Amino acid sequence: MEFILQGFQKALHLILSGNPEIFAIARLSLMVSLAATAFAVLAGVPLGSWIAVKKFPLKKLLIALVNTGMGLPPVVAGLVVMLFLARSGPLGFLNWLYTPKGMIIAQFIIALPIITALSISAMQNVDPKFYNQILALGASDRQAVWICLKEIRLTIVAAVIAGFGRLVAEVGAVMIVGGNIRHQTRMLTTATVMETQMGNFDMAIAIGLVLLALGFIVNLALTVIQQNKVLTR
Amino acid sequence: MIKLSGLRLAFDSGFRLEVESLRIREGEVFAIIGPNGAGKTTLLNAMALLNKPAAGTLEIMGRDALAAANKLPLRRAMAAVLSQPYLLNDTVFNNVALPLRLRGLRDAAAVDAALELLRIAHLKERNAKTLSQGESHRAVLARAFVTRPKLLLLDEPFAALDERVKDSIARDLRKVIKTSGAAVVLVTQDQAGALTLADKLAVLVNGRILQQGEPQEIFSRPASKEVADFVGVETILPGRVAANSENLCSVEAGGRTLMAVSSCGAGDSVFFCLRPEDVSVSLNADAGGRRNNFKAEVVSVAPWGLEYKVELDCGFTLQAAVTKQLVDGLGLKAGAQVYASFKATAAHLIKREL
Repeated sequence: MEFILQGFQKALHLILSGNPEIFAIARLSLMVSLAATAFAVLAGVPLGSWIAVKKFPLKKLLIALVNTGMGLPPVVAGLVVMLFLARSGPLGFLNWLYTPKGMIIAQFIIALPIITALSISAMQNVDPKFYNQILALGASDRQAVWICLKEIRLTIVAAVIAGFGRLVAEVGAVMIVGGNIRHQTRMLTTATVMETQMGNFDMAIAIGLVLLALGFIVNLALTVIQQNKVLTR
Repeated sequence: MIKLSGLRLAFDSGFRLEVESLRIREGEVFAIIGPNGAGKTTLLNAMALLNKPAAGTLEIMGRDALAAANKLPLRRAMAAVLSQPYLLNDTVFNNVALPLRLRGLRDAAAVDAALELLRIAHLKERNAKTLSQGESHRAVLARAFVTRPKLLLLDEPFAALDERVKDSIARDLRKVIKTSGAAVVLVTQDQAGALTLADKLAVLVNGRILQQGEPQEIFSRPASKEVADFVGVETILPGRVAANSENLCSVEAGGRTLMAVSSCGAGDSVFFCLRPEDVSVSLNADAGGRRNNFKAEVVSVAPWGLEYKVELDCGFTLQAAVTKQLVDGLGLKAGAQVYASFKATAAHLIKREL
């Protein structure tokens, strides 16, 4: 029991004294997960909207695949990305293995199905009559989808929150693709694993607290965006 | 404005819409009436280019609307208000401005003018989701008129409104339509609403147009029993024309001889049709020149809109619409003995296939 309390005390000291290593790791974690989330939103929301409004063969199969992707184990995503980025792999020439770029790709692959699947279901919840009414007012297909997205922005932001939450807490993929290299690819999650294994509980607790705080701050910001303009009844 | 022929739409449910021909001219208010599930909305959506007919031709503003690869320019020349005309979670002003923004235009003056036209300028800063039903309807109509469309399609514009609000919106809508000069297609189950607005009327039942023409013509001279049923002809008796003398027919129906002005020939099987408002009820036998006059017993008296509907037994069943004053004045109640009369010109004969 003693060592837990001591761990917390030392952790608070490390944070409050502004330990440069912790903050560098936090910065990198935030950058990688936010970038991966942003790319996943840019690709997943249009993709999900397209799948939702278009009619094409095997649509249900595609949606089932996307839904399955929501449960994609990060270590599998990490493994696949590593195989592609490895020196002898098809994308080896990029030299992105063990770099933040590689980690962003791995996390993008994890977040894409989550944001796509939630966008599909949000868009499919839009009444087709609403979509038709917007078309009837003179909207092009693209404008109509955009207006629908604005109407379902609460759900879309919820998808972003879900995607980011998954990424910032994820350890398997960044461990495999990034390699937990100090000052280069060490993330808050991989650092927590390492410090715990080494018995540095104070450092592990400190990093864990920063991770929690980071998640809270980003989600708070997203929630403020989400709840803005919500009608109070 | 719209020329439509041989239009066919089939649905998985088995429902088919088949419209032989329909023509809507510039500046005309054309109402399509029919019961629930008749295909009114499907037909309107076809005109709004929101569904794809399996066959037929549709010409809108002189252009072949079904062949056009890009339907956007045509859609932008008109405005459609669907049966659930959603407003966005935004201010009334921005909602009304939406069709302009979709066309890349910013014209606050046009938005203000449309708001003014529908008398909701004072609501423009309100969130549209907080409006009452009547106010929402006005906002939806303002949104449809803001682009000054040449063609306006309205699906059940008065659904879910109480009478008072409906009357006031219908009055304003008529004014706006007349000043705009737009052609309007209106689909509705509300016959009174259709009558106050429409220049032309079509009756759609079971996916087919059974009759089209002047509203008065359709209401007083329905072409078939289905149309008669739908437009409020309450007395429909099967019978046979016994004789025709210079278009004055004597019809054997319900065990009595009834007189009607018609070109039907002797021996024709017909439906004898009579609107309730054309029947007079009195206590004395003087029919005042009306050719049909029968002694009758009152079966029931029931409120019917602003009037009362009286069911009479004259050997056959006759429905009459009477004012409250008359019900009180004559002491009409079940069992009362009265005289029912109507003109031969008020009756209408529909030929009946046997």
